[in-house]
Amino acid sequence: MNKLSLRTGLLTARLLNTRRLAVFAACTTALVAMGLAATSVRAADKEPINPAPTLKDYSALATLPDWTGTWTPDMTDQIKQEKTNPPPWKPEIAKQIHKMYADEEAGRPFEVIDHCFPTGMPSWMLITHNAFEVLFTPGRVTILGEGDGNRMRRIYTDGRPHPADPDPSFHGHSIGHWEGGTLVIDTIALLPQVYLAVNEAVGIPNNGDMHIIEHLHLQGPDTLHDDLTITASKLLAKPWLTTRTYYRQRARKYEIVEGVCPQGSFIDAKDANGNDTFAPITFHDNVPVGSKTQ
Amino acid sequence: MNRAILKGLLAGIVCASGLCAASFAHHSFAVYDQTKTQTLKGTVKAFQWTNPHSVLWIMVLPDGGGAPQEWTIETTSPGVLTRSGWTRKSLNPGDRVSVEFHPLRDGSHGGGLEAVTLLDTGQRLQAKFGAAEKPGLQ
Repeated sequence: MNKLSLRTGLLTARLLNTRRLAVFAACTTALVAMGLAATSVRAADKEPINPAPTLKDYSALATLPDWTGTWTPDMTDQIKQEKTNPPPWKPEIAKQIHKMYADEEAGRPFEVIDHCFPTGMPSWMLITHNAFEVLFTPGRVTILGEGDGNRMRRIYTDGRPHPADPDPSFHGHSIGHWEGGTLVIDTIALLPQVYLAVNEAVGIPNNGDMHIIEHLHLQGPDTLHDDLTITASKLLAKPWLTTRTYYRQRARKYEIVEGVCPQGSFIDAKDANGNDTFAPITFHDNVPVGSKTQ
Repeated sequence: MNRAILKGLLAGIVCASGLCAASFAHHSFAVYDQTKTQTLKGTVKAFQWTNPHSVLWIMVLPDGGGAPQEWTIETTSPGVLTRSGWTRKSLNPGDRVSVEFHPLRDGSHGGGLEAVTLLDTGQRLQAKFGAAEKPGLQ
């Protein structure tokens, strides 16, 4: 190979290298750009996931206060609270409440817990006659009740915010966080028909914008307090602060039982083929009057 | 078809399906006259252990004679009753009982249970909403 050939060859190689570099750079830039674009598309479209809990997540539950057992409501205190700390009803709402108390007294109670709908929030915590239990799992506290349909609250403690536009429901959307031994719960997105009730015969639908903040905490070794702050601008002149008390039972006979509300409208029966079935009970207004089926 | 007749027919269909618009299994016990307590002796026809309310049907011989009459005595949920010492077998068909109850205001044969005594054993069972107002009960 002569000198000229060598120079030509080196120059060609440099040119080729430069071209390769240019092509490489262009390709890299394009790929990075495409990658970034893809990432940003993914970020926009990406649905949040709940990662699999780790041993650390489960171990962290052991640092939370012990709320196991069955919690039974203090009915005497519930009635006392109703009388001594009523909601600050707006004047026009107070008129409806006054009539409901009169109807209850006269034996014509307005049925707050009608159609076997769940009592809903916050009335479940305020007026329940039945017990509930509290379950801790990573990122969530679940409250399960009994007595009528679907008493269940899911309280997300994984740091998520409320959704921008949550579907309204009987128990609303709840997020919670721990402040020491206190679970602070923020609940929104309640159906407008859900009552703010002070007993089973006195309550008004929240009509649309109710917001509940609860501080749920042990008040002694076996007493749970729910300090509620209820804001409902359609009903209340100002936020209502009230507390309900529940007692811990550990005897197994106190454990929560299934509560399927419509079952109470039926009686055990046999069909034409001798199979076990449910037959509707005869009702007189709201109360059963006969074991005969309709 | 006349609209009123249609409405009536529809209501009849709904009621026949056991879902009468005015019949709710869960209701306030204020429907019963809390100022009065009535006592009746009879024989258990059926006892229904269901949510949201349990129901006791008893057959009562009228004071003036005649065929036994059915009375429907309602009480609270299995969860609350369990915490008051009941089980689903506390009352069985054929048991002779004395029931104390708040009657329906219109004189219909029904009421809200206050207590029931099994006449053969003397056991008295109460329906107490506030049966668990302290912790650690046995």
